[in-house]
Amino acid sequence: MTLEVVTFWGLAVLLIGSALSVVLTKNLFHSVLYLALSLTATAGVFLALDAEFLAAVQLLLYAGGVVTIVVFAIVVTERLVGDRITQTSRHIVAGCVLAGALLLGVLRFLRGAHLPVERPPIAVDVTRAIGQVLLTEFVFPFELLAVLLLVGLLGALYFARPEE
Amino acid sequence: MTHLSTIPMDPALLAFTALLLPACAFVILGIVAPLRRLGRAAAYLSIVFSAAALVAAIGALRLADGGAGYSVWLWSWIPAEAGPLAMVGVLADGDSELMLVLVALVSFLVQVYSLGYLSDEAMPSLGRYYAYQSLFAFSMMGLVLAPSFVQLFICWELVGLCSYLLIGYWYTKPEAARAAVKAFWITKAADVGMLIGIVLLWRQTGTFNFLDLLALADAGAIPLAGLGVITFCIYLGASGKSAQFPFHIWLPDAMEGPTPVSALIHAATMVTAGVYLLTRTIWLFRLTPDVMQIIAWNGAFTALLAAVLACVQSDIKRVLAYSTVSQLGYMMAAIGAGFASAGFLHLLTHGIFKALLFLGAGAVIHAVGTNDIFGMGGLGRRMPKTFIVFAIGALSLAGIPLFAGFFSKEEILGAVLAGGFPVPFSMLLLGAFLTAFYMFRVVFVTFFGAPAASHGTGDHHVHDAPPFMALPLWILAVMCVGVGALFTAWHPREEFEALGWVTYAAVGVALAGIALAYLVYQRRAISADGLARGLAPIRAAALRRFWIDDVFAGIYGWLMLPFSRLVGWIDRYFVDGILNMFSAWTLMAGGGLRRIQSGRVQDYVYGIALGVLALMVGMWWGR
Amino acid sequence: MGLGAYLTLAAVLFAIGFFGVVTRRNTIGILLGIELMLNAVNINLVAFARFNADVVGMIFTAFTIPITVAEVALGLAIVILIFRMKRTVIADHLDILRG
Repeated sequence: MTLEVVTFWGLAVLLIGSALSVVLTKNLFHSVLYLALSLTATAGVFLALDAEFLAAVQLLLYAGGVVTIVVFAIVVTERLVGDRITQTSRHIVAGCVLAGALLLGVLRFLRGAHLPVERPPIAVDVTRAIGQVLLTEFVFPFELLAVLLLVGLLGALYFARPEE
Repeated sequence: MTHLSTIPMDPALLAFTALLLPACAFVILGIVAPLRRLGRAAAYLSIVFSAAALVAAIGALRLADGGAGYSVWLWSWIPAEAGPLAMVGVLADGDSELMLVLVALVSFLVQVYSLGYLSDEAMPSLGRYYAYQSLFAFSMMGLVLAPSFVQLFICWELVGLCSYLLIGYWYTKPEAARAAVKAFWITKAADVGMLIGIVLLWRQTGTFNFLDLLALADAGAIPLAGLGVITFCIYLGASGKSAQFPFHIWLPDAMEGPTPVSALIHAATMVTAGVYLLTRTIWLFRLTPDVMQIIAWNGAFTALLAAVLACVQSDIKRVLAYSTVSQLGYMMAAIGAGFASAGFLHLLTHGIFKALLFLGAGAVIHAVGTNDIFGMGGLGRRMPKTFIVFAIGALSLAGIPLFAGFFSKEEILGAVLAGGFPVPFSMLLLGAFLTAFYMFRVVFVTFFGAPAASHGTGDHHVHDAPPFMALPLWILAVMCVGVGALFTAWHPREEFEALGWVTYAAVGVALAGIALAYLVYQRRAISADGLARGLAPIRAAALRRFWIDDVFAGIYGWLMLPFSRLVGWIDRYFVDGILNMFSAWTLMAGGGLRRIQSGRVQDYVYGIALGVLALMVGMWWGR
Repeated sequence: MGLGAYLTLAAVLFAIGFFGVVTRRNTIGILLGIELMLNAVNINLVAFARFNADVVGMIFTAFTIPITVAEVALGLAIVILIFRMKRTVIADHLDILRG
């Protein structure tokens, strides 16, 4: 029972549980909160995979930014609060079946593949490595990402303008 | 300056020129509508081209000089592997050149005559008339000069079309329109037979060209099995055009057209196309003696039947129409007996004197304003020149020596007897008696006696024909007398052993007929009513045209029309029904399929997921 | 824990997210499901990057996260616009494009 195994299983339970709650809760606002929880659990998974930088990014952008945005959107539009699950969800059985089939398909692929069990040792600092590669090899997509964010900002502003 | 006779000229080339000239006239009149609407200008154009065609035709005849050879001007129209399938162009041999001259001559004279006869027509209509006349001249010449069955058939149909257009020239008159359709319909029904025969012949021999077929026939290479059917089918087509029983019913009704049209088409040219075809392909028919027998018997029967029918008509044009049917029967009988040259000779002479008779009748009708001979009378004094030319024509028809019809009719009688057909011979002899009788009945009632009470009223001045009409009449009359005198004095080469008494029998019978007509209608020695009462049943049947028209009408009304209605019903309910069923299924399928496009995003996500799953499954099965 | 465990975890998360996408009536609920699916993809990428000792996978993730954020922002902007026009965010009612 190494720390690694315990950590993994704990994070897994948390992640799956909160994800199920996201899709099964009747109250949409609760859904968003559960989503925040699952995003945080994902950040934990990143940490377990020695990706500290990404864990930080995940917490900042996802758990902080996205959740905030969604909350605002819910506030602006009418919330749908239902008493029964069928009021908030449709075709539950069909969805289950199809999701299960997809899951089974992917798992069968995984069973047939040869996957490494041991992590290779890492010599360098991951964050430093990310920074270096990002600003040398991938500087072009990096700049484009900046343009994309600008465009997105403008687009969102345009969409959300008050009605004339 | 080189002498004209040293320029090498091919008769076929001249014949082709003669063929092209009326075609050019038709094309010009057809395209240049303002010229056509001018009427008289169109007429002059057409007449000039027609005269040029006549000169070319005569030139071709003179060049060939009546030899037994031929010259051709062909190009292949339907190419095939083993030589061309059909040639078109000109095949100029003795028969076709003579016929070409006849067609060109009568066409030219009729066009000149029409200028006077139709002088009070509206000008645009006159232009249309002359366009049709030019087209007809071209079609008939193309038929005459055809080197293959293909060109013959095409021109055959074109001639039928022109006949329809010209009979129905006054198309606002319902009788004329109906007569035109009747002519077209009857001849077309017969032409189906001819087409079947031509195609069957091609299947047996592999070619449509006359020269190739003639070579095959001479070599004995045409298979005899089924040839009887072929020749009979071709004879069906010929009998439609040449008004043999039972296809003769269209010719009397076709008299609704203008009289010059009747002179051209229903005396000299179109109706003789059938006889001409049989003459042209006699080498084929000689291989099937059974069909020749049928031809001979039917020809004689038609001749007698039509002669009987002519005796009870009071419309002068109807008399001439039945007379044409009768004379065509004579020609066919001679061909059936095996002596095509006798029939062809009668074709040529008949063309001249029948055209003369029709044009003369036209002059009378134009002057008096009615077709009824009992509404005329005493015209001999008021229209002496017309009387002379009409009498010349009548004497030719009756077969009196010194006139055109004498020798050819005697040849036919002799040929039929020599061919071994005694019963048809007697039918033809009786027919000759009746021919003389009915023709001179018309002559005596129209030109002699007292004028009928009806005419003299109205504003018709009874006078001789105007110059445009008189000139063709005189030309034809002179030709009648000239040809008649020539043949009477000098008999051309005969194909058979003529029995001497046939000549005397023929002339005697003709004179007897004239005498009877004289006694009944001029001297009133024998009462016409008494004759009528004596032959009452025949007379009644003849007035009903022996109910042959009713048979056709019955076939149409009781067989064809219900059948057409049945076919139409099947078309509407079964064929259309099946199609509608398919289209309804398509619409239903479309309506069902469109439910996939629900417009909801989540349904589309379902679709994508199912597609991915299907791909996964497919990959597994593939492995 | 080997690579397979992390990939299985990601697969389960993906399936749950898919279930959310196709069942939720509220459009914002659908967007939440999409978020879960994208999360699963990111876990996949990082796991592969770690077990292959290749940093490019992490770079990939570093790009997808901002892009996803931008996409969510714009998606919610559209939802708000639709709400302004139709006064509803229920996905079943938004079927103008049906055939």
